Amino acid sequence: MAQSDHRSTEIESPDKWEAQMRKGCLEMAVLASLWYGRLYGLEILRVLERDSSLVLAEGTIYPILNRLRAEGLVESQWVEAEAGHPRKYYELTPSGRDRATRMAETWTQFSAALGYLIEPVLKDRRVEQPL
Amino acid sequence: MTTESQVNDYLARLRAALTGMTVAEREDIVEEIRMHIRERSGDPGTNVETVLAGLGPADELAQQYRTGVLVQRARTSISPVVILRAALRWATTGVEGFVVFVIALIGYMTGFSFLLLALIKPFFPANTGLWVGPDQFNFSFRLGATMTNPASPVHEVLGWWLIPVCLVVGSLSLAITTKFLQFLMGRFHWKVPFAASAHARPAMMAL
Repeated sequence: MAQSDHRSTEIESPDKWEAQMRKGCLEMAVLASLWYGRLYGLEILRVLERDSSLVLAEGTIYPILNRLRAEGLVESQWVEAEAGHPRKYYELTPSGRDRATRMAETWTQFSAALGYLIEPVLKDRRVEQPL
Repeated sequence: MTTESQVNDYLARLRAALTGMTVAEREDIVEEIRMHIRERSGDPGTNVETVLAGLGPADELAQQYRTGVLVQRARTSISPVVILRAALRWATTGVEGFVVFVIALIGYMTGFSFLLLALIKPFFPANTGLWVGPDQFNFSFRLGATMTNPASPVHEVLGWWLIPVCLVVGSLSLAITTKFLQFLMGRFHWKVPFAASAHARPAMMAL
């Protein structure tokens, strides 16, 4: 009984679950996007749009960067750009690199375990409801 | 013209909703969002309306900034050294920072004084204690042999109990000071002001 209740709420809000999952991964994605060097906010956004489908609202990225800076994981600097207006660049600090590494390791283990677990779900789905 | 006033209106609402932070921090955020709107709306197939829609409502964006700070507060250190140093930095930014620094100093000094009393009691048992005089409200700690005169109505009441009492009171003072300061720092959104942004674009801030 309780199980079916639980299931129905899950079915009712897959969008919410997906949104939370994306949100949870965004911090790691932002740190990872800075791995090869400094970027400004819009560049980070473009990298994330290109390499993943993580960003739901463009505004989300800036408060996250602000928090990462407050935590000492990134450093920011205004740079006068050739575009004619200044840009605020972000760069990983050593502890930001550590955090990104640890997150990536955790993510890999997590997704491998989960991938193994959900494999039968996807297999049965293909048999029952061919796309 | 219309789009420019739209942008200014959005930024004004964002600025108004970014409460509990220094002017420098707030302007830094507003400038970054302004630059985002300017550059993003230049993309093909994009205009100011879609960029503003992409950013979401100004008050929600501000809320995300404030929530981020709450998360940060939860991770704040409990070390008196870290907190005092932070309070000292904050004290340089204005009156509220100075008040916090004074509270921090008094709180920690009280805490450490009690702990110190507990520590020196074994070495100077006669001079360390809670001395109570004829005036009921005149409780005080005294570190002088003069007060041990038997003829004096002032006498010591705790004896060796002084040590556990001081340890508990001192630890409580330190804990309460730390908790209170963490609360204040979260409430007033303390962060080290960054000099680079404070003076960089006064012309743009005028909008």
